[in-house]
Amino acid sequence: MTTETRGRWERPMWMKAWAAVIVALFAVGAYLGLVWSPPDVNQGNLIRIMYAHVSIAWIGFVAVGFTALFAALFLWRSKRMDDVRAVASAEMALLFSSLTIIGGMTYSRPTLNTFWTWDAKLTLTALMVALLVGYFIVRSLIDDPVRRGRVSAVVAIVVAASLPFNYLAAEWFRTLHPSRSISLDGSGVTMAPEMLMTLLFNTFVAGLVYAWFMVDRVRLGRLEAQLEAERQAHEAVPSTEGGVVRV
Amino acid sequence: MRRAPGRRGMAGRRALYAILGVGVLGAAGFMIFQALSTSLVYFILPNEYAQNPAQFEDRRIRLGGLVAPQSVLFDDERLQLTFLVTDGIQEYHVRHTGSPPELFKENAGVVIEGTFDASDVFMSDNLLIKHSEVYEAPEDGHIDIEALRESLQ
Repeated sequence: MTTETRGRWERPMWMKAWAAVIVALFAVGAYLGLVWSPPDVNQGNLIRIMYAHVSIAWIGFVAVGFTALFAALFLWRSKRMDDVRAVASAEMALLFSSLTIIGGMTYSRPTLNTFWTWDAKLTLTALMVALLVGYFIVRSLIDDPVRRGRVSAVVAIVVAASLPFNYLAAEWFRTLHPSRSISLDGSGVTMAPEMLMTLLFNTFVAGLVYAWFMVDRVRLGRLEAQLEAERQAHEAVPSTEGGVVRV
Repeated sequence: MRRAPGRRGMAGRRALYAILGVGVLGAAGFMIFQALSTSLVYFILPNEYAQNPAQFEDRRIRLGGLVAPQSVLFDDERLQLTFLVTDGIQEYHVRHTGSPPELFKENAGVVIEGTFDASDVFMSDNLLIKHSEVYEAPEDGHIDIEALRESLQ
């Protein structure tokens, strides 16, 4: 048992290889963003911050979406692994949305002339980060794995419900944050082709980073869940007197 | 670990929860939308102010518009920036204390914070840039005024 568990703690070889590929692609993305792509007619070289900011924001949205998807699956069929996957995705969602705000502030100070303002888009993003923090606070307060999974799943779904508002905030409300440059309904892209290509490549790399950490965190989460189940089975030892003794 | 009601009872309860959940989320979403669209109007346009100036009297407001061409004057000794802000219908004189931000120029979108004085000059102490979602390389560099104007709506 012990040796088997220790063996499973090891990160598989293919994941190490995948990490190396991601680092190489990240370097290519940085080259595209910092050197190859042209400066913007208005912003000059400041446009280069956009490739990091927007790609991270998009993958943060994807991470929130997957969190809610696995959370909903957990509510539906109560499979422990769905909760493990939801947590893994939620951690990445919190990381990516925090980085979105940090990158956004970096970008907005020189271009929009302020670090922060409470317009609809920024407010919704701040709310998203706050709710994701709440997700982990709620989890830390509940011991029963099933209840913990259910309560936090509801939080995850609420976060996901804010996504369409956030995504379309600049279209629906007057904001300082610029509108989308890429319309998913096919009505056009208001971005030079080289810029679009750079943004999409960096988004692809950010997606790979997300996927890598998802796989790794789910691997660890599976072990955590096994450990927790074993510990609880061990703690609840039936005593000779007929009651339950907590060890 | 969990109670085991009959198969049909469980499915029925699940469906009920699902319907309730969707209902609650829908209501919450609608209320968020209402709150954001009514109380979070981030800035008003010059013509909206002109329609009802009394409504904004003695109140700090955010005014959004474009910097009118050939209207910009900057006194770099007193750090006084003056320009005309316009939405294509109405324009107002703006006096801003501070230096112009890097992306400030004619036809740029701006959001200014401050108050109107007695002679309808907007006294601004915070000048923000609202740039459009159009990004292009300088080689084929013209600025699409219509797209800029659109971005202010």
